[in-house]
Amino acid sequence: MVEMQPGDGKTDNQNSDQLVAVGLPNEALCNTEADEYFMSIKVELNQIDRLISDAVNNLVINFRYISKLTKSHHDMVLAIEKMAAPEGSKPIIELLEKQMIIADKIEQELEMAITSLQFGDLVTQLLAHTARQVETLNMELQRIDRQSNWKSEKTTMQVTHEGISRAVNLANTKSKRKPVVQQGMQMGDIELF
Amino acid sequence: MAKTILAVDDSASIRQMVAFTLKGAGYEVIEAVDGQDALDKANAYKVNLVLTDINMPRMDGLKLLELLRKLSHYKAIPILMLTTESGDEMKAKGRAAGATGWLVKPFDPKRLLEVISKVIG
Repeated sequence: MVEMQPGDGKTDNQNSDQLVAVGLPNEALCNTEADEYFMSIKVELNQIDRLISDAVNNLVINFRYISKLTKSHHDMVLAIEKMAAPEGSKPIIELLEKQMIIADKIEQELEMAITSLQFGDLVTQLLAHTARQVETLNMELQRIDRQSNWKSEKTTMQVTHEGISRAVNLANTKSKRKPVVQQGMQMGDIELF
Repeated sequence: MAKTILAVDDSASIRQMVAFTLKGAGYEVIEAVDGQDALDKANAYKVNLVLTDINMPRMDGLKLLELLRKLSHYKAIPILMLTTESGDEMKAKGRAAGATGWLVKPFDPKRLLEVISKVIG
């Protein structure tokens, strides 16, 4: 089985390497079609993860740069205000005050962006969780396929149905705890013990 | 003298957002990429507060919390958990291991600073 390679090192979370499919050992592989199908899902999950990580990295770089520029702008307006204050004309002073209000507003918006920019971490953890679910379901289906008599002539719909249900239940039990339950990017709860 | 905060998260973007927020408020920030890295840095530096994620490779935040509380310097140092985990079972584990507080991601910079100021003064 082909081993999927990690991304280009740009993944946001170190634990996103959990998305990397190691695949099932050859001796455990029973149903190649199912295995290939699950592998293709994991390849797509990896692709989503890389795209999101790349976008988050770029957004954070942009954020930091805008933040630096805003601070420089803020300092510059303050300096000009000081220089212009003694004999500065009223319109210039008013203009500088307006500039200062704009600079403050940009800073406030940047602060708010800090909360939204955390989406990459949440998404990466959810993707890793989904990849684990897919991996577990694949393993359970392979195991049941290996153990059951599906390939015999006695195979019935009932046996197939029970086998799939058993695999889903086992996969569900093994990957039940979801690391992220948030449905939006609102601030999370805070509790001091 | 500025107080030092050890920020632990495997997500680079979260570490950057935490550091940006804390440095802007005048704190010194030491970053660690997982529990093991944090433990090494906690031993090497004098830290006033630890802010840690839970789900991390090599060593998770709960194990880090447990090990830090065994170190004499960290018995009374505030340790805040900053995590996507919000289940009661996990919170109870954190509380039992000696966490000072539990913050669910995403964090709001103002609220984070308020909480930190409250616990380290």
